[in-house]
This record gives sequence, C-alpha cells and structure tokens, in this order.
Amino acid sequence: MSDRITGLLLAAFALWYGFTAGQYTAGFTDPLGPSAFPQLVSIPMGILALYLVLRPDAEPAWPRGAALLRQLAAIAVLVVYAMVLRQLGFIVVTLLAVLLLARLLGGSWGQSALAGVGLSVGLYLLFEFVLGLSLPEGRLFGGR
Amino acid sequence: METLASLAQGFAVALQPFNLWLALIGCLVGTLVGALPGLGPVNGVALLIPLVFTMGLTPGSAMILLASVYYGTMYGGRISSIMLNIPGDEPAMMTTLDGYPMAQQGRAAAALGISAVASFVGATVATIGLTLFAPVLVGFAIHFGPTEYFALFVLAFATIGGISGVNPVKALLGACLGLALGTVGLDPASGVARYTFGLFELYDGVDFIVALVGLFALSEFLLFLESSHSAEAERVPLGSLKGALKELPSTFATMGRSSVLGFIAGVLPGAGASLGSFLAYVMEKRWLGDRGRFGEGDARGVAAPEAGNNAAAGGALVPMLTLGIPGSGTTAVLLGLLLSLNITPGPLLFQQQPDLVWGLIAALYLGNIMLLVLNLPMVGIFTRILAMPYWLLMPLVVMVAFVGVYSVNNNAFDLYMMIGFGIAGYLLRKLSIPLVPIVLGLLLGSQMEFNLRRALSISGGDWSILAHSGIALGIYALTALLLAVGVAVGIVRARRLERIGPLD
Repeated sequence: MSDRITGLLLAAFALWYGFTAGQYTAGFTDPLGPSAFPQLVSIPMGILALYLVLRPDAEPAWPRGAALLRQLAAIAVLVVYAMVLRQLGFIVVTLLAVLLLARLLGGSWGQSALAGVGLSVGLYLLFEFVLGLSLPEGRLFGGR
Repeated sequence: METLASLAQGFAVALQPFNLWLALIGCLVGTLVGALPGLGPVNGVALLIPLVFTMGLTPGSAMILLASVYYGTMYGGRISSIMLNIPGDEPAMMTTLDGYPMAQQGRAAAALGISAVASFVGATVATIGLTLFAPVLVGFAIHFGPTEYFALFVLAFATIGGISGVNPVKALLGACLGLALGTVGLDPASGVARYTFGLFELYDGVDFIVALVGLFALSEFLLFLESSHSAEAERVPLGSLKGALKELPSTFATMGRSSVLGFIAGVLPGAGASLGSFLAYVMEKRWLGDRGRFGEGDARGVAAPEAGNNAAAGGALVPMLTLGIPGSGTTAVLLGLLLSLNITPGPLLFQQQPDLVWGLIAALYLGNIMLLVLNLPMVGIFTRILAMPYWLLMPLVVMVAFVGVYSVNNNAFDLYMMIGFGIAGYLLRKLSIPLVPIVLGLLLGSQMEFNLRRALSISGGDWSILAHSGIALGIYALTALLLAVGVAVGIVRARRLERIGPLD
C-alpha cells in the first residue's frame, strides 16, 4: 500500500513538474531552452511512478507507538535547535539537545547529562580552536 | 614512462608534511567510521565534507583527506564484522560469513590480521590499476563531445542502482527525483529561475552538502530511533596474532584473484565495493570448491571479500576521476566535493591540475601503507571503540552534521532544509528507494542538461545528433547490457543471501 501511495504522489509530482517546466521561456537561448530537460525527466518519472502503483513491493514495517514518538520528539528537538542556535549559542543549545537525544536513545539521566556536557564542550573546543570555525556564541549573552 | 614521471610529481605533493598529516588523520577517522556499525563510508565522507569546505583546504588537500577516509572505511568495516557479527558497513557484509566463525573459534586476531593484509593487497592492486588505466581512459575520453557525455550520463543513471539488489524501478525513480532536484535554481544558460517558489535561498539551487548530510546522516539517526539498542553484543576474545602468520601464506592466491575481480567490479558503473566483495567471495568459493570450508571460518573467506571490496573502492575512482562519472555512492560524494570546489573531473583535469590528480593517487599509496601499519598493532584499540554506546555515538553524529552544515553559510535555513532532507531520506529508505541515485542526479543533473543542450545547439535542434556518434551508440549498447546483467545478478544475489540466512 505504501508503494502505491508513493507511486501516486510521485506520478502527481511528475505531472506538476512537467507542466510547470512548460511555462519557463527565455527570449534568446539555445534551441532547447530551459523547459525541455525537466519535461524530458518528467516522462520516465511519471511512467516509473505508475509502474510502482501497479506492481508495488512488500509493505515496509512502519514504526508505531513508542518508536514513532521517539522519532517525532527527536525531530522536534532538532527543529528547536535550529530556531534558537543564534540566540542561545552553541554550547547551551548543544548541551540541552544532546541531553534530550541521548535520553531518547536509551541513556540514563546521568549518562545523558555526561554526554551533553562532554559533547558540547568537546566539540566547541575542537571546532573553535583546532578547526578554526567560529560557532554562534549566543546573542542573549552578548556573543556573535 | 610519462605515467611514472607524473606519479613522482604526485609523490612530491603527497609527501608534504601537511598532506601527510591529513592522510594520517583521514586514515584514522576512516577506520573508526567504518568500524562503528551504523556509520558507513558514505556517511563518514558526507559528515566531513562541510567541515573540509569551511576549513578552506585546497582542493588537493581536501581530496587527500577525504580519499584517505574513504580507503579507511573499507579497512574499518571488517572489524565489527569479525568481532560482533555486525557488518560495520555494507561492503563488509560478506566478511561476517567466515570472520565471525573464526572469532568464535578464538582466531579473531588471525581474522583481523589476515583481513588487514587482504585489504592492503586489494587497495594496492586497485591503486596500481588506477595509475595504469586512468591515463589510458583519459586519452580515449579526450575526444568525447557533448553527445558522448550525454550518453555517459544516461549510462551512469541507468546503472547506478543496477547491481545493488534493490528494485531497479525504484533506483531509476530515485535518479529521476535527483535530476528534478538538480533543476531547481537559476538556469545557467538562460537565467530563468526554475522551481524556486520565490525563495532567494533556492536561486543557487539545492545545496548539495545540505542535501547529502540530511539524506544520509540524519536519516540514519531516525532509522536508529526505531528500535531500542539496549542489548549489548556478545564480545569474543581477540586471540593471538601469531596464528595469523601461520595461515597467511595460504591466502595469498585468494587475495590476488579477488583483488583483480574487485577492481574490475569497481570500475564498472553502478557496482561499487559491495559488489566487489560479494563477487570475490562467491567466485572464490566456487574456485576452491571442496578445498575450501567457506562459512565455517576459512581464512580465505575473510581474505576474499576484504581484498575484493578494497580493490573495488579503488577501481570506482577510475571513472570518477577520468570521466567525472562516479562508479559508487561514496565516489559520487567525492565528486560532489570536487564540483563544490569548482573543479570538474574529467579528462581535462589530468592536464590542467596534474598536481591534484597525481597527488591524490600518490596519497592513496601512502595512505594504504599507513592503514596497514595502523590496523595491525592498533586493532585492539579499534575493537574497544566498538563498545561506544549509541546514546553517545548518535548525538555526536547529529551534532557534527549540524555544526558542519551551519558553518557553510551561517544560516538557519540550511538547517531546516537538512532536517527536511533527513525526514525525506528516512521515508525513502523505508520504501527502499535508494538514496545514491538521488544524490547523483542532484550532482550531475545540470551537467547532463548542459551537454544535451550543447549537442542540440550544434545540430540546430535536430535530435538525431544523439545517435550519430559511434561511441555514443556503443555506450547506449553497454547501458542496455549492464541493465540486463544488473537484473540477473540481483536475482542471483537475492537467492544466495536467502540461502545464507538472515544476517542478524
């Protein structure tokens, strides 16, 4: 079923992709112009996608319950990380993110805290001083 | 003779102290990455690319570092195959078949030692092959025009998933998706913005590094979260290295045969190291027949796949450097690095940047010796690192990915894109749609389009020019042949793996 849904979505995408390509025009250009290649790609994509609808593979085992929750929580942690990195700075955000991710991966509170402190400080020292990359220091604290 | 002079020039580059350090660091990191289950060669190289980029290494030094990582992962993968019965990366899968039984019999040190030597032999044969064949192929490819290149791109996309054992329809779909992603951004020929939805961040196209790290490293993390990895794998004693010396001579012939076979498998497009180790193991088993006890801890059963996958890894560099068409997933990523640094691999590269090409090849010879030296006495340390718990390893991977991608452009947009690619990569992997064709499409799409449009500019819009060149027709014929072989090998391999039984 998953393959059939994927096939339908990709077929719809191929259709949209090919039609959108037709709108791209340029005045003076080569004989093909900007629209031909995407159209050329959309044709096999559409055919292959429809083939997938007709001949799907066996259903993959999708995560459910606790596993799915772990994944959603991890994605939430990563999105928040990207949102607050500038404001709070690398060390604080990384410490908290690693703490939470390590918990999600089955570490105890103590182990996770250790991982958080170790990785945030260790990576900061490595990137800032050994590799010479400048990391955000947190605007809230007056850093870059 | 000319080749020898070029190689000598390359050694002058590779022997610079800074480059030697980079090669050593690359070998160490590569062995570690390869050894840790869950971090394959593609992941390792992908994670390091943004760092290399922001550190501002010269293209030559960057290639030396990453190619050393690449060779290193091929050595590292065998360690967890032998010690834990878990392949450290995909090419090391066949090594579990005889490696783990050897470890259970108390011959772990022998298995590790022999496989290290086999890796060395395989990689050295491949590097010699690269030295000899690359200039020949370059001399041939220098006459290629846009028609021939377009045919080569068709060959690359049609065959990249070919022999990996996945559903060929899904591999081709992946390639189409990648090509579609590759058209995002300003069309270089006409300046028209395509599929950018008005977002300025997309005008330069989808950033290859962001897509790569998201698709591979983040999706790996999400895949990991599915199951709780609390159970510790059973540790086996290491045993003594002396046993290795006794068994070693009996494996030399195997190493030789497997290296040649692996190299050929690596040069072919769409094959790569996994096929190299698979072919080497299966052919060796057939060659020895009753004389071998494969599957019960035969030393030749570790020598064959390890020589095969290291030779294939080197072989895959041949089409990547000479034609700009990668023969495997990891070489696709290395190609991406070169393209990001504004260097186009291909026959002209050998003329315009001989220091880069020959410095890299020389560094591979040196790196190989370093890897052998590292892997014999230090194998105890590497096996101990296998005990690193996942609650430490996986956050480390994720954070290196975030810092690396963030530091390329210093903006959060790239991080959101990367998370998006991570989720997409996870879903695609669950659906068994391979990721390598997608990355390859994103990488090479613009060049494929460029060559097609140039060919049709030459002919004034007449499509029949694509079939006018004999070389191009030959490439299309080879494409058809490889597709057919790919389907056949896929069927045989699936049957064979069924007979071996589930890996875990």
